[in-house]
Formats: sequence, C-alpha cells, structure tokens
Amino acid sequence: MKILVTVSESVDVDDDFEVSEMAIDERYLTYDLNEWDDYAIEEAVQIGEEIDDVEVVTVTIGPERTEEVIRQALAKGADRAVRVWDDALEEASVLDPATKARLVAAVAREEEPDLVLTGVQSGDYSFGATGVALAAEMDYEWAAVVNNLDLDAEAGVASVHRELEGGVEELSDVELPAVLTIQTGINDPRYASLRGIRQAQSKPLDVKTLGDVGVDADDLRLSLSLSSLYEPETEGEATLLEGGPDETAGELAELLRERGVDA
Amino acid sequence: MDYGLTDEQQQIRDEIRRFAENEVAPVASEYDRAEKYPHDVMDEAAKMGLLGANIPVEYGGAGYSTLETALITEELFAVDPGIGLCITSAAFGAEALIGFGTEEQKEEYLEPVARGDAIMGTAISEPDVGSDVSSVATRAEKDGDEWVINGSKMWITNGSVGDYFVVLVQTDPEAAGRYNGFSQIIVEADRDGFTAEKITGKMGIRASDTAELLFDDVRVPEENLVGNRGGGFLQLMQFFDETRTAVAAQGVGIAKGATERALEYAQEREQFGQSISEFQAIQHKLADMHTRTEAARQLTYKSAWSVDEAEDQLTMLASMAKEFASRVAVDVADEAVQIHGGAGFVDDFDVERFYRDAKITQIYEGTTEVQKNIIGRELLGKGTFS
Ligand SMILES: Cc1cc2nc3c(=O)[nH]c(=O)nc-3n(C[C@H](O)[C@H](O)[C@H](O)COP(=O)(O)OP(=O)(O)OC[C@H]3O[C@@H](n4cnc5c(N)ncnc54)[C@H](O)[C@@H]3O)c2cc1C
Repeated sequence: MKILVTVSESVDVDDDFEVSEMAIDERYLTYDLNEWDDYAIEEAVQIGEEIDDVEVVTVTIGPERTEEVIRQALAKGADRAVRVWDDALEEASVLDPATKARLVAAVAREEEPDLVLTGVQSGDYSFGATGVALAAEMDYEWAAVVNNLDLDAEAGVASVHRELEGGVEELSDVELPAVLTIQTGINDPRYASLRGIRQAQSKPLDVKTLGDVGVDADDLRLSLSLSSLYEPETEGEATLLEGGPDETAGELAELLRERGVDA
Repeated sequence: MDYGLTDEQQQIRDEIRRFAENEVAPVASEYDRAEKYPHDVMDEAAKMGLLGANIPVEYGGAGYSTLETALITEELFAVDPGIGLCITSAAFGAEALIGFGTEEQKEEYLEPVARGDAIMGTAISEPDVGSDVSSVATRAEKDGDEWVINGSKMWITNGSVGDYFVVLVQTDPEAAGRYNGFSQIIVEADRDGFTAEKITGKMGIRASDTAELLFDDVRVPEENLVGNRGGGFLQLMQFFDETRTAVAAQGVGIAKGATERALEYAQEREQFGQSISEFQAIQHKLADMHTRTEAARQLTYKSAWSVDEAEDQLTMLASMAKEFASRVAVDVADEAVQIHGGAGFVDDFDVERFYRDAKITQIYEGTTEVQKNIIGRELLGKGTFS
C-alpha cells in the first residue's frame, strides 16, 4: 500500500521582531517541520513498520529551503519525497488552502495513494483546510482531526477517533482511499536516528514544476493575497501568577479586589 | 578550502539539539544534584542511535567520522556536559576494537553498545598512574588459554555501570623498551574477582559515572586480547589523537552553552534602569567569549577533519585543539557566571553547572601540561610520546 503524507515547514517568529513593509524580517524567523506533520509522518512510518509493502511518500509545496524539513521526514523513515515549486508560486504572498490542495492533488493523481495523511493545520497560518480541500479535490473519503487510527489494510478501512469540541470523541470507519488530517498527540514522534539521517541523504527527492504536475501557471486562481501586516498595539498587561493553587488563589483574589471586582 | 557544514552535518546538529533540549535539559540539574546515572535518557538516546555514532554501520552504528562525532559532542555538551558525557562515552574503547579487534570481538562487543544494550569503558589510569601511561602496573599473566589479571584502575568513566572495559595491562614486563610489554584486554564486569567502586563527590560532570576497578585474579579467555600482545601502548596512542579531538569538542560545547546562557541573561537582567547588555563591559565579555569559542571550534574541526584527511598534521593539532578548547571552556564558563552575578552562584542557573563541569576537560585525556609537552615536542621534532 502507498501512503502519501503532506509535509510543510512552519515559521516561528521570535518574541521580539520588526515588520518591514509586508514581511517580518528573516532575522526573526525560524523554519521548522510543521508540528502536525511530524505526527502524520510518524503515523505513516508506524504503519509501514507494522505491515509489509508500505511505501511512504511525502509531498511538499514549497521552495528549496523546505528540503530541510523534507530530509527530516526522510530521516524519520519516509521512503521518498516529491516537492513542487515554481516561479509562479514564488510571487504569491500567501498560498491559499484550495491552491495547495489542487497542487497536492495533482501529485496524488500520479501517485494514486491508498491513504493520504496531512496535519490538521500548519502552525503558522492555521487554516486547517488543506486536508479536507484535498479530499474534495480527489473525491476521497475523509476524516478530520484524527487522534487515533486503526487501519485494516486488507479490508481497506480506517477506524478513527476524531477529536471534537468539548472533549467529545467521535468514532467512525472511513473507507480507503481516504484523506485523514492528523491531530497532535496521536503518537509520540521519533527523533530522526543517526542512521536515518545518513540514509535520508540518498533517498529520492523529486522536484517538480507546475508544468510537471500538469497545472497551468496562468490558471492558478490564487484567492488570497496579503494586504497589510502590522504589529497590534499592546492594550493591556497580563499578570502571571506562579506556584500552586494554595498560594496563587489568594493572590488572584487580592488582584481582583484591587481591580474592583467584588463578590 | 571549504568552511561550511554539509546539509547532512547540519541535519545531525539540529536533530541532536532538539533531542538535547527536549530530553536532557529538563532533567540535567536533577541528575547533577543526585550524582545519578541517567538510565532513562540513555534509553532515549539509544532509540535515536546516538550511542553508536562512530561504530561502523555493519555493527549497528551510524558509522560517522570524527568530525560528525565532534558535532554531536558539541551539541550535547552545550546543553549538559554531565549527561552529554554519559551519551558520548557509552562506546569508550570502541575505537580500539574497531581498529584492532577481530571480527568476533566486533560483533560481540560493538553491536550491543550500538543497540543501547551495553555500556563500555576504557581503563588506563591507576592510583599511581596518570600522565605517565607507560608506568601501568596492572598485570595480566597467561595461564593456559586464559589471562589472569591483578591490579586496579582509577577514575574509570562508566566504571560501575559498564558491561565491559578495554583494560591496558602489562603482559610482558621484561620486554625491552619503555613502551613495549603492554596489551589491551577486554574484561567483562561480570567476571569473578572484578569489582567496581563508584567514586562520589565529583566537582562536575556528576551524572557521569566514575569508578575504581579492582581486579583480583580475574580470569578472561585468551580471545579477549585486543590486537597484538605487547602492542597495547602503541595501539592506544593511535587513538589519542581522536579521543583528544573529542574532548576538544566537549570544550567547544561547554563554551557555546555558557555563552548562549550569558547572552540570554544579559539581555533580560536590568540594572541602573537598563539591560546589563547595554554596558560595554558586558558586551566586551560576550564578544570575547563568542570569539574564543569560535576559534576553539575551528581548531577542533580542523583536528577532526585531519583524522580522515591529513594525518601527518594530526598529533599536534589534536593537542592544540584539546588544550585550547578546554581552556576556553573554563574561561568562558567563568565569565558566564560573572555575567549572571549572584544568580550564577546557585544551581538555579545552568552556568553554575557549566562552571563546575568545564574543569575536567583540562584534566582527562591528557592534562593541559601534557598537551603542551606534546606540542613542544612536535615543534622541536622530537616525536610524539609524552
Ligand atoms: C572524571 C574523570 C574521568 C576519567 N575517566 C577516565 C577513564 O575513563 N579512563 C582512564 O583511564 N582514565 C580516566 N581518568 C583519569 C585521567 O585521565 C587522569 O586523571 C589524567 O590523565 C591525569 O592523571 P592524574 O590524575 O594521575 O594526574 P598526574 O599525572 O598525577 O598529574 C598531576 C599534575 O602534574 C602534572 N604533570 C604530570 N606529568 C607532567 C609532565 N611530564 N610535565 C608537566 N606536568 C606534568 C599534570 O599536568 C597535573 O597538573 C578520568 C579522570 C577523571 C577525573
């Protein structure tokens, strides 16, 4: 069976930063593997360790810099990777989920996976929509915010737990091929082992342009663009009470009284 | 000339850093205070394949060279030297087996270490033998097809937690020449007559285990001899250049960790209505610390690179790197405490631990004085042995 895992980088901004024009200066940014994708990769690799003949392929829409997180995925056990990028995408200020889904779908049509695992969301933009948009694009079954996955590969059924608001869990069976968006906590992602890092350097990483995946650059229909970027004014201050409830309860009461909250 | 790390080397460094920040940093103080060996962290390190970094791939390791191993050491020591040493020393002595061991020895002793099922060590020093390695007195006598070992070894890293040790013994005391007559023999900790007594009260690297080993008629099969009978001293010397480079990397890591913490603290701490990092005196300290750390790093990387690429210049470079990086570690940790003021004098802050941990790098694997002797001898063309 073949599992396709979407892998992206996520940007972390330092506590102190400067906005210049329409971007945050690179000095304040750190790129890392998107946390949710880390769990998706782990889930796929674990399936590969449990059953025979599983190929785990990662797909990334991103510039050359993202090869760093792709190599992380390969070092953790993915078998090969596909990265799609194009000058036409370079010009976009934000890639909307529908466009990303369209591009991943173009790769998925070539790969014909039995299962697609995506993260629930990316840690920076937090759209939380790429996975389900991909399912719609592919006309696959889908389940979002999966925090437990039990796969019956023979029967082609994924039994999943979905984490809903208010601590409710929904149990459902999803027929393959399907897209599952993976929630953090579903597993305990591994560190890339030293041997894994070594092997990752020689695993295939195919780089494709829009044309290569059959998408016309003039027909991208990007639906989002960044119109302004600013740092909101600080309007108040937070007071952090540290310690156990026995100490902090009194402090909190005192604080509320000071601020004029009377019971 | 190429001054950059490869993508692979950067990936190693980043992943080790992630591991150290998540698995080591939160428990570093606890193991330091309790002077306790971190078995739980070792299990995590084993899962990541960290314990066999330099063990060849065919014996379950990652087969990395001295340079990659130095990068790993640097990152671990930048977070915590005590636990860093536990991780990087689990395969102490492996280099002798890789270089001179038989196929059977490699399979039997290297594979369990790479898997994380065994810990090993190197036993050279004795109560009366430190810098002058050629005066080793622990004796191994041949009795039929066994070696019978008597004597004691002092300050042995992993001594009370290790499963086996590569022990430098005297096998042929009548051999002519100061450096002949020694051999390396593997001794398993479960042999009759073997005891290890943990040494407590260490100033630094307190998570790391150190012990005195006592050999009382310990019998091991003759197959436990590593390499040539009588060639032990020369075999050992071959790897000093590598192991010294590793200690240099420890020093670089300590200096890096101490500098990072000092920089962070200096920006947070305010006095006289401003961040202390605004004072030029503090900036100059930070500038010095950073510069000297980088200088030590370059010397260390060059030494590590020379192990594989330019052996003719290695001995002097390894001693220069070891001596300089350990000195930088001690000085930088000192300044890091100074920048912390009173806060740096208590163990709430990592720099207090770094200050205590740094000193050992000037002592083990040949003291500062011994390294300078070697550099001097090499300069004067007098040969290697100290
Ligand atoms: C925590 C720890 C872990 C260790 N781990 C190991 C281990 O795993 N295996 C192992 O075999 N050993 C180990 N050692 C021992 C270590 O290698 C020795 O302590 C070191 O080699 C110094 O020997 P010594 O302590 O006997 O000092 P000495 O040799 O007695 O030195 C005392 C002083 O005299 C100076 N001196 C000696 N000779 C000369 C000279 N020719 N010229 C100028 N000055 C000189 C030294 O530099 C030093 O300043 C460890 C030690 C410690 C503290």
